[in-house]
Amino acid sequence: MQEEGIDSQELSGSSEISRREVLVTLGVLGGAVAAGAAGWGLLEAMVALRQPVESWHKSVCRFCGTGCGVMVGMKDGRVVDVRGDELAHNKGVICIKGSMLPELVRIPGRLTYPKIRKNGSLVDASWDEAMALVASKFSESIREFGPDSVAFYGSGQLFTEESYTANKLFKAGIRTNNVDGNPRLCMASAASGYVQTFGKDEPPGCYADADYADCFFIFGANPYECHPPIFERIRQRKRLRPDTVIICVDPRRTMTAQHSDIHLAVVPGTDLLLLNSMANVICEEGLANQEFIGNHVRFSDGEKDCDFAKFREFLRAYAPEKVEAELGVSARDIRRVAFIFARSAATMSLWTMGANQRTQGTFLNNTLNSLHLITGQICRPGATPFSVTGQPNACGGVRDTGALSHSLPNGRLVANPEHRAQMEKLWKVPEGTISPRVGYDAVSLFRALEEGSVKAALILCTNPGTTMPAAGRYQSAMEKCFTVVADVVEDSETQRHAQVVLPAALWIEKEGVTGQGERRYQLTEKLLTPPGQARSDLQILVDLADRLGHGGLITARSPEAVWDEWRNISASSFYNFQGITYARLKKERGLQWPCPTPESPGTARRYVEGEDPFVAKGAGVEFYGNHDKKAVVYLRPYVPSPEKATAEFPIYLTTGRILEQFHTGTLTDRIQPLHDAGGPAMIHINPQDAFVLGIQDKDAVEVKSKYGTVRGEAKLSNATRVGAVFASFYDAKLLINRAVADNFDPTSKEPEYKVTAVSVRRVAT
Amino acid sequence: MNISYLQLVYLFGTIFCILGIVLCIRTARTRFGKLGDAPPVSLWITRLPAESAAKLTAFAALILMPAGAIFIANYHTFEGVHEVSGCASCHLMLPMANDLQDSNSGTLAARHFKNKWIAENQCYHCHSDYGFGGNLEAKMTGYRHLARYTTHTYKEPLMARVRFDNKNCLNCHQGTQKFEAVPSHHTAWARLVSNQMICLNCHGQAHPTSLQRTPGSPDYARLTEPLE
Repeated sequence: MQEEGIDSQELSGSSEISRREVLVTLGVLGGAVAAGAAGWGLLEAMVALRQPVESWHKSVCRFCGTGCGVMVGMKDGRVVDVRGDELAHNKGVICIKGSMLPELVRIPGRLTYPKIRKNGSLVDASWDEAMALVASKFSESIREFGPDSVAFYGSGQLFTEESYTANKLFKAGIRTNNVDGNPRLCMASAASGYVQTFGKDEPPGCYADADYADCFFIFGANPYECHPPIFERIRQRKRLRPDTVIICVDPRRTMTAQHSDIHLAVVPGTDLLLLNSMANVICEEGLANQEFIGNHVRFSDGEKDCDFAKFREFLRAYAPEKVEAELGVSARDIRRVAFIFARSAATMSLWTMGANQRTQGTFLNNTLNSLHLITGQICRPGATPFSVTGQPNACGGVRDTGALSHSLPNGRLVANPEHRAQMEKLWKVPEGTISPRVGYDAVSLFRALEEGSVKAALILCTNPGTTMPAAGRYQSAMEKCFTVVADVVEDSETQRHAQVVLPAALWIEKEGVTGQGERRYQLTEKLLTPPGQARSDLQILVDLADRLGHGGLITARSPEAVWDEWRNISASSFYNFQGITYARLKKERGLQWPCPTPESPGTARRYVEGEDPFVAKGAGVEFYGNHDKKAVVYLRPYVPSPEKATAEFPIYLTTGRILEQFHTGTLTDRIQPLHDAGGPAMIHINPQDAFVLGIQDKDAVEVKSKYGTVRGEAKLSNATRVGAVFASFYDAKLLINRAVADNFDPTSKEPEYKVTAVSVRRVAT
Repeated sequence: MNISYLQLVYLFGTIFCILGIVLCIRTARTRFGKLGDAPPVSLWITRLPAESAAKLTAFAALILMPAGAIFIANYHTFEGVHEVSGCASCHLMLPMANDLQDSNSGTLAARHFKNKWIAENQCYHCHSDYGFGGNLEAKMTGYRHLARYTTHTYKEPLMARVRFDNKNCLNCHQGTQKFEAVPSHHTAWARLVSNQMICLNCHGQAHPTSLQRTPGSPDYARLTEPLE
């Protein structure tokens, strides 16, 4: 292009920029900027408008004891999304159940009005009518038969404030220790194991230990299905350090076993033989850490102290070659596993119900702890015995508050006069208020209902009609008592036997603290209004306290007020979490106790200098729960289960969870994708056993034990060991717990769900 | 000197911008009212009246050149993000890029990179919605990021507001034996394909956490080092 005749300078005859030119240039520039700003503004508005989530709120998953931090996405007052919280301990990982939390608050069949049984049917009632009836029945029973004629049966799914208030109301108000709950069914053995070994309950380690362990000893646990974020963390460790060894001890070839390096399929009920045999190998082959033992360990036969030589002598009966036949694991594998356990740079044991729900549950827990103590695999990153818990608040809500029949807050015991006196002082009640009689544990309580010695029971947030062993027997027992149930859904097995049913708020419809498996307290804030007339369990308890004349005792009436009372009480114990305030919980991603001051970062590893505020400077490691500051290694003999297989009942029944369902399925089974995935619970049987019994896939079969009979559909599965059958307990239609034995551990009183001798046969449909 | 294809595109875009600015200045200085007396303008094989030539120049300055520059800039961006260095040219993306290439990191991005599950050196493989054929949401967000970045109206750490499209994962994983063997994939299938549930829920962090990307965090300096 030629420039001839175009240049305005030539046309104007001037080389200077005119005023007009400046204005035009500025105008164009201004227009361009305005257009850009308008476009940007429009873009911001459009992006904002198209956001599927209006606001994100920090919360905690409602389901298992992993206690995953989640972010709840809200829009227009509804939950529209839930994601794993990347800043929480679970590092953003949740499972399929947690991912379905948006559906949880919309499940069908919510209980929205109180109901009273009239002429055999539950009919709607007002809160006042229902609570007046409950209070009059409780008062009448207490007046006529004494305080021990009433009971509270709670749950590891209540908020801490609720369990704490119930415990206080019944023990310091009504004056009965008949306070127990479903945690008795799942982790009582872990608690008694820790208390006996370390002098204090709750694990010494934390989930983060999985990031450092080189050997995972997974014993009687199936974290792939039951605690998926924990297993994902284990797999992540394996990905980053491929030499990491995962050992799984389980009669079944579970999904966890399938993803492990070594699977030891023990015969149900015999695994204390394995632990003692491993200890034998460790002691005989020079794998014990004598320095750690010398500094931090004491030996005991359960009655009196002894020494390492006595321990070694005791273990000679458990040499691998002596136990392999009964245990079902070769001596070679026992030696191999013992060596890896002892010699890995850091070994982390994880266990759940396979160890806890046993008549030798406490012994198994003791010995798991002992393996770590004799090898020094403890109090270092990655080296720890870790009992994984099943419910979101069994640890914080029940174990820590002492909401069990034998215990009082912060590890105190009902049977200890000093402990009772301490709590009477802290609760500001007259001396002698707390009964010295240990209350009924779960099985004993339901037997007391059956016998008629307990006349009225309040059941919150749990479904014993399905979860109790020998369930048929205890369902009938509930009918002999004035049973009050607060629940979130209609038609649970328990409600069928209740006289009054109260609608309870669920998850983010109320506020409170939960304490998950690694001593971490986390706050669930209220984001929704409960449906209909549903109330929080705390409101129900406060109302009952007022009506029973204990309003002066239960002065803390909001979740935060209860929490403040509780954290101040903790200051007088080794649990001390006075520094965990609501303000901090709202801001931080949970805190692990001990955490005595508002500045304390919490304690990831207990008994370790520099981490645990109770360990003296220069001590390094100090098991301060015991008088001599040493942990105790017990000599725990193997005793066969009372459910040893016989000619009449030649097969072992074990039960457990599946990935998609939590507990009795009252919540998860109402979420359609989880319901579809779980399907009806079936009787899993090894094809070899099925062949002998003439059973084919999907045949109707009968499982019969001394305790009851159930019928269901057979599923042939190589995951099930020969000589054993498995069924999950989420399905009320199968209700496998009717056939499960109600034997229990003499110390922890936890029933042995994992071992029941049964017969299995094909039946006509 | 080795000039890459992208550098050529960049050069071409720069020429367009400079030319556009020059033409804008010329247009602003033109007295359209006085062009009637001006001699015609010679355009190689033809001659145009001065007024027509000035209008043509104005059209090129105000429409043609900006449109061309925008097109080339977008093309350069879309092509550029096919390489990690392209994404990391914005320093806010450095933590993602550094972590991606860190063999000790366990994030999904790092695992995909070190195991060569993704095409070499590409963020784009898992973020294909930012590409030329990506969805409107990603485009809007991208332009918003550009506006925020160039005007410095952002704060670290950067938080993703859009929902990551699961198709980016499913494109490769769906149908594989390993994927199909996981029961939860079938349980959640409807929610996964409709993006109601993100894959990351079960599979963890894709990139460093927002805390790690916050200035002052222990990891910040390491994560924001310039790429080698």
